[in-house]
Amino acid sequence: MSYKIEIQSLSAWFGSKQVLQDITMKIKENLVTAIIGPSGCGKTTLIRCLNRMHELTPRAKVTGRVLLDGEDIYSENVDPVTVRRRIGMVFQKPNPFPMMSIYDNTAAGLKLNGVADKHRLDGIVEKSLRAAHLWDEVKLELGKSGASLSGGQQQRLCIARALAIEPEVILMDEPTSALDPTAAAKIEQLIRILAENYTVVIVTHNMQQAARVSDFTAFLYLGKLVEYGLTKDIFENPKSELTEKYITGEFG
Amino acid sequence: MSRIIDTGLEELSVMLCRMGELTYETVSLSIKGCLNGTSVYSQVHEMSDALISMSDQAEDKTFELIARFQPVASDLRTIKSYMKIAYDFARYSRYALDISYINEQLGGLKECEEWITEYIEKMSEKVLNMVRTSIDALRSHSAQLAKTIAKTEEEVDKMYFEYLDKLIKKAPATSKCTISSVLVVRYLERIADHATYICESVIYLATGEKTTLR
Ligand SMILES: Nc1ncnc2c1ncn2[C@@H]1O[C@H](COP(=O)(O)OP(=O)(O)OP(=O)(O)O)[C@@H](O)[C@H]1O
Ligand SMILES: [Mg+2]
Repeated sequence: MSYKIEIQSLSAWFGSKQVLQDITMKIKENLVTAIIGPSGCGKTTLIRCLNRMHELTPRAKVTGRVLLDGEDIYSENVDPVTVRRRIGMVFQKPNPFPMMSIYDNTAAGLKLNGVADKHRLDGIVEKSLRAAHLWDEVKLELGKSGASLSGGQQQRLCIARALAIEPEVILMDEPTSALDPTAAAKIEQLIRILAENYTVVIVTHNMQQAARVSDFTAFLYLGKLVEYGLTKDIFENPKSELTEKYITGEFG
Repeated sequence: MSRIIDTGLEELSVMLCRMGELTYETVSLSIKGCLNGTSVYSQVHEMSDALISMSDQAEDKTFELIARFQPVASDLRTIKSYMKIAYDFARYSRYALDISYINEQLGGLKECEEWITEYIEKMSEKVLNMVRTSIDALRSHSAQLAKTIAKTEEEVDKMYFEYLDKLIKKAPATSKCTISSVLVVRYLERIADHATYICESVIYLATGEKTTLR
């Protein structure tokens, strides 16, 4: 199994405040990697560095390298827009465009990328909604507003929207924290299925969720990577005392 | 979409069924060797080593499922039962090894009178049936099938004590035979016990009922 992403000595700042310190880790292809750690430890910042979204924040800075299939996404000749197309993102709060239909929400990214052919759009919309396991629930009302769906359905719509532009990697930032347990369980099952075709990186506050859905887990603390390894090993037999304390609930 | 834990439970179940089949082969080979006086010790030893490492793997897997999926209700019962069953299988193979060791070390039942080998053969058939029942009940999670083992368990127990009685009344010609046959009968009785424990675990995982079939 090869590595999809290699993070090398990555550091990140907001102004003069350093929030990530010299992170080095390799992310395997077609598996789920979870990032856990207490609030403010830098999880969101880390994944925003993986698709060059961190630099969109004013006064934000990044050093180090992030290799996608061996090529540094921060090198000068790389267009950040292309990177974001290859590495999609799903956010904490389901955020479908409220004025758009389910269909248009799913197709939004494609249209932005200049796909106009109706037949082609139809095909991709259906494929993406199916992949997000939402198709059967919405196929008869694709014209309805995306905002009319339940929270869990909205999140699956956002996943469909991310899938529509055919990314290779999907980043998810607490994708279930706004959902009830049943809707969250569905997203977790979906994540396992997505991993058959995509590389998934998920940030989660919920350690049990990381244990359930991920193959590898990274524990981040105060901007540093404390421990990274097979999820099974992290939760059965962590090497670091800090990790042990965090996952057994002794702090954080 | 199936639940995430299902993949792990399925893997574990496949692992255990494979163990079950191998234990059956191991037990039946050791008994055959002892009855025929052929040396199967090294073969049984290999199989038994393989089973012990499979049992370790199964235990590891149950641990992983507990650590990662917070199993509850029937999932939790299944995992607990699987862990015990993996151990019971390992015990089968251990007794099988002991039986083939008797053959190796003491010459087995070669010097025994015919009524003795016939008696042991009959008892071992019953025990192998019990092993088979335990594996089938596990594979199908069938409490109904598991419960049927109680009757054979009682018969095997009875045969065990009856055999000791018989020896007291009429000692075999050689002490080699006395010792070998008593040990074989004893190990067979222990294997039957573990088959019964497995069936009790199957009933527990399928129904939540804690029963004893002994
Ligand atoms: N836009 C910003 N400007 C300045 N500092 C920021 C900004 N966003 C985040 N930070 C700081 O960077 C650090 C890392 O934040 P980040 O959002 O990556 O943490 P997190 O691990 O995702 O936390 P949470 O679990 O609460 O989402 C924190 O100390 C935070 O206060
Ligand atoms: Mg965050």
